Amino acid sequence: MNNRVRELRTAQEWSQADLAQRLDVSRQTVNAIETGKYDPSLPLAFRIATIFRTSIEAIFHPDA
Amino acid sequence: MPRITHTDYRRQMIVLMCVYVATMLLLWPHARTASSLPLKIGCALLPTLPILALLWLMAKRVMRSDELEQRVHLVALSVATGIVCALSLLAGFLCAAGIVVLDGDILIWIFPALCASYGATRWLLARRYGAVGCE
Repeated sequence: MNNRVRELRTAQEWSQADLAQRLDVSRQTVNAIETGKYDPSLPLAFRIATIFRTSIEAIFHPDA
Repeated sequence: MPRITHTDYRRQMIVLMCVYVATMLLLWPHARTASSLPLKIGCALLPTLPILALLWLMAKRVMRSDELEQRVHLVALSVATGIVCALSLLAGFLCAAGIVVLDGDILIWIFPALCASYGATRWLLARRYGAVGCE
């Protein structure tokens, strides 16, 4: 699954640690999501969408 | 619940392992020579207390981890359990067939074997996910 988490995070000028703190996850988990090594659960995807004030489908896209 | 950082976990683990080594060196040898049965049982089982505390610490760490860290812990623990079960089965069959001679002392090595397999598997998984749980 592709995602725009890194793009949205850098637009906010947040570090991975900043986003990790807001999501209550480890910085390594944020990194794994951004690099596409891990697809978050639905609750975590909702938290990510809420933090960036957008919808899940605007952040996560299935692989083409 | 606050997360347990790797530094905090390592510090607490080192303290518990020092207690374990101290009980093994100072008290456990008396298990064979103690005169009364309660003292014998006490000396023999005392080293398990720091290990039980370590298991509780590991459980707390996993429970307070995020979802990806929990996944890594779960997969690593499953693989470690499989490895130790397979080795125990092999050793059991070899012993039952009279090919090797094993006594009860070998049971002491099950927990260290589980920890070693768990650590190695977690390290491999952490590399796959980008060093999760190795901060």
